[in-house]
Amino acid sequence: MHIPDGFLSPSVCITGYALTGGVTWQCLRQIDRDRDIQANIPKASLLTAAFFVASLINIPIPPTSIHLIFNGLMGALLGYYAFPAILIGLFFQAVMFQHGGMSTLGVNAIILGTPAIAAYYLFQQRHLLRDKKPFLTTILSFASGAGALLLSATMFAILLVTNISPDMDINAERTAIFISLGGYGIQAVIEGVFTVMLISFLERVKPELLNS
Amino acid sequence: MKLILDRYAYLDSPLHRWQQGYKLIGLLSLIFAFAVIQNIWLLPLMVIITWVLFSLSEIPVGFLIKRLRYPSWFIFAVVILLPLISGTTPILQLGYLTIKQEGSWQAILISVRFFCILTVSLVLFGTAPFLNSIKAMRSFGMPRVIVDMTLLSYRYLEELGEMLTTMQRAMKLRGFKARGFNRRTLKVFAQLTGSILIRSYERSSRIYQAMILRGYGSQISKKKQKKIEFDQSDRYSLRATITVVTMAILLIVLEAILPSFP
Repeated sequence: MHIPDGFLSPSVCITGYALTGGVTWQCLRQIDRDRDIQANIPKASLLTAAFFVASLINIPIPPTSIHLIFNGLMGALLGYYAFPAILIGLFFQAVMFQHGGMSTLGVNAIILGTPAIAAYYLFQQRHLLRDKKPFLTTILSFASGAGALLLSATMFAILLVTNISPDMDINAERTAIFISLGGYGIQAVIEGVFTVMLISFLERVKPELLNS
Repeated sequence: MKLILDRYAYLDSPLHRWQQGYKLIGLLSLIFAFAVIQNIWLLPLMVIITWVLFSLSEIPVGFLIKRLRYPSWFIFAVVILLPLISGTTPILQLGYLTIKQEGSWQAILISVRFFCILTVSLVLFGTAPFLNSIKAMRSFGMPRVIVDMTLLSYRYLEELGEMLTTMQRAMKLRGFKARGFNRRTLKVFAQLTGSILIRSYERSSRIYQAMILRGYGSQISKKKQKKIEFDQSDRYSLRATITVVTMAILLIVLEAILPSFP
């Protein structure tokens, strides 16, 4: 779900960079309020690297396989660190594997990063209820994982289809958006179930990772 | 997982001698100028500039082709689809399919722009050690949190990649084989991902202790830092940057004044 170089007009690319600058500034302001920022930077950095590596795992869905995006999970685990982490991950992918690109880095960061922040807020709601916490955690884990991916996919499809060609027919644009969202909808369910399984595993094995 | 970006970072070409801070300014301007291009007449000029830069960098063509492999699938899909769904002027009828002029030009424009930007990006980050690129960005005022996170993530990326390979090998040795898509397979992959996250989390605590012992968090004189990383006396780099920025401005001016392609 990366928009490559050359697909978007410069005004969209520059707007993407401006928005990314604003969201990064806001996240860094929140991070600055962190009492233990110096200790949390190595944690966030290694988790960034771990998410980057984990996104390379192939989940087999015959006859093909998919890579998970993990932006919802990153939001749930990293909080405000998730946006800079995604920005760094996208930068690595652009320069190392040519996924995405330098001109579209800002746009891609907004597409994947802002749903991660939304997922963080959503996942934090599990502290609201003291009873039935495991059930609520399951629901919120699914919603964070699936919702973040679906939100990213919606932004990606709309941006790509509406910007790719000025001569494209409006009906063709609408059809293309719905087709791509259908595909991403299935992946969103898989990502949601995967997030539930992973959060449940972390709760049993390393609960402090969810509360740090 | 091998991060082969630095493989050709230590050659001795005119692009390698260009200081990374200056190179970032010059080539990023060029990348944005390429993104501006909508006029088909300017595509040959873009390709020539890209070809000259790539030739000067002395990076082997095979390295570029290898890098193009994955993103080219996306471009391939666009090149196939756009002429069929975009535009109104038919140029060719193939059974039920009509190839349209506007969509075809758009597909060419996007492909050439993509190829040129990707090549310039590869020249930008492939002709200097990756750490120099981060240092150059730091000298432009990139926030400390992002610089620290980038450097630490980069440092452990390869190790965590090796860890993943070892864990996947161990899973295979214990008889795991992903047969189709089912709940059990997904659960095993979730536990594998969880294990990587836990291992990296535990490791980060030890790394933090080691960083504290080595003076992490103590302030370095900014004046001294800038002097090391962004040496403005480098005339060669300055001249190269002015040349490339001028080319970028020229491309944008030509885009504005040249009549657009029908």
